[in-house]
Amino acid sequence: MLELRVRKSFVGFTLGCEAQFGEGVTAIFGPSGSGKSTLLNSIAGLVRPDDGEIRFQGDLLYSSEGGVNIPPERRRFGYVFQDSALFPHMSVSENIHYGYRLTAREDRRIEPSQLVELLQLERLLERSVGNLSGGERQRVALARALATSPRLLLLDEPLASLDGGLRGVILGYLKSIRRELGTPMIYVSHSISEVMALADNALALRDGSAVAYGPASEALAMPEVSALAQFDTLENLLEATVAKRYGDEDIAELEVGNARVIAAGVRRGEGDALTVSIRAGDIIVSRQIPPQTSARNAIPARVSEIHNVGSRVLVYADIGRRVAVEITPNSLRALELREGTEIYLIIKANSVIPLEGRSG
Amino acid sequence: MELLGILGLTVQIAVVGTAINLPIALGVSWLIVKRRIPGRLVFDALVSLPLAVPPVVVGYALLLLLGNRGPVGGLLNDVLGLELVFTWFAAALAAAVVSFPLMARAVMVAMGGVDENLEKAARSLGASAMRVFFTITVPLAYRGILAGVLLGFVRAISEFGATIIVAGNIPGKTQTLPLAIYSEVLLGDDAMAMRLIAISVGLAVATLLVHNWLLDRATRTNGG
Repeated sequence: MLELRVRKSFVGFTLGCEAQFGEGVTAIFGPSGSGKSTLLNSIAGLVRPDDGEIRFQGDLLYSSEGGVNIPPERRRFGYVFQDSALFPHMSVSENIHYGYRLTAREDRRIEPSQLVELLQLERLLERSVGNLSGGERQRVALARALATSPRLLLLDEPLASLDGGLRGVILGYLKSIRRELGTPMIYVSHSISEVMALADNALALRDGSAVAYGPASEALAMPEVSALAQFDTLENLLEATVAKRYGDEDIAELEVGNARVIAAGVRRGEGDALTVSIRAGDIIVSRQIPPQTSARNAIPARVSEIHNVGSRVLVYADIGRRVAVEITPNSLRALELREGTEIYLIIKANSVIPLEGRSG
Repeated sequence: MELLGILGLTVQIAVVGTAINLPIALGVSWLIVKRRIPGRLVFDALVSLPLAVPPVVVGYALLLLLGNRGPVGGLLNDVLGLELVFTWFAAALAAAVVSFPLMARAVMVAMGGVDENLEKAARSLGASAMRVFFTITVPLAYRGILAGVLLGFVRAISEFGATIIVAGNIPGKTQTLPLAIYSEVLLGDDAMAMRLIAISVGLAVATLLVHNWLLDRATRTNGG
């Protein structure tokens, strides 16, 4: 879909990258200063590379040899900034319509009304953007970019400025955009958890060079990538539905994939969707249901993949959703795990953290 | 009412001079601050030049340019039969050149305060560079731009050195407040001079107060 070869030098830093992006969601992953944003801006046309070539569906967007550089306004790519970059002198509605009005009638596939519904913006339309919360700002920024019916949506760390709960909320909206609108996305992130939760493919960058490319689920298994990931904080960000609430308590039973998971701190009502976070290191693997334990969850699962990552082992368990579990090489040997092994995932209710957000 | 006539002419000349400057200041600021054209440091220095040389020099340069034997004045005279020198319009041009640096500097600061990401966002939404300028940059910088206009205006009102060279000091035709004050002082009419000075100072103070109020609002609402 998108092929590129770019080189861009700054003082003390050079981005030199060759990559191909497929349909779906592709994550550009790497630590800060690895050149992720520069690469994204080159694709958008907001940064002019020193050298190289960029093609989208065969169309030449940039070529140093051919002297081609299509300006950003003619690339028809949506761009969502980390800080939203909403126009402060316009209302929410005017922000959303800014790009829509500039989109040729025959190119309009997405209508603002559709986005208002998808991103739940009805209440906000007449508000000025100055008094929106962080999550609201990002939803408006998404709607504004999508209202141009972009051929590709570029997102620069759209969750980075949000706190834990809101991250889950916006992640949920990004998933519904992928599902409902099917707009291909390129998503810049330094969080491997986000990459695994949202992306189909991942491109890992280090010091301005692409070090790995492949399906996102395999990304962490690549040594080049795991070396960059902050492993301690690897979390599973999973879509869930509230199946049952237990009276007035905040304990609830959630449906995650094929499994029922008990979680604490749930404020949503029965039938509501939310995103939960379970850290890979907070999950215990067992071959049997432990007879007596304080953990509320013993979820039947099947081992789908096993990857050695540095001194640790990453086990992917299938519960109708892919769940990453981190164990030691010792445990792997003791439990005799291999692909296809039936296991139980032992998780405390407190370790299933609902990402609901206060004002979303 | 001689006083009113002088005041009217002064304001007319300053308004026309400022009006000539505004589009040029917007364009030049855009090139230097937003487009970052090559050689912008030299360009930037040229913008400030009229501030750095004595106004008399500006006046003399304009006289050479606009005079009947000058490149611009000669052409206008030959083609249209127009004579610019020693007219109120020559005074307006003198006021424009001398006040340009103050206005342009303020406009540059105002435009520089507009978050570049907003302009990039607008580009990615399909807006051309020109549309971004008029729908994002200028609306967000307008208080700062207006403050620059007033600063230029107040300088144009007090212009003396360049004006007297290129427009002379003709009562009822090119005699602005500063020139009138100069004449009254020479003639020894202290009472009249003081009255003109009072008007001049009052006008300047009023304009500067509005300028400061605008600038205060601009910094508080962020982005210029």
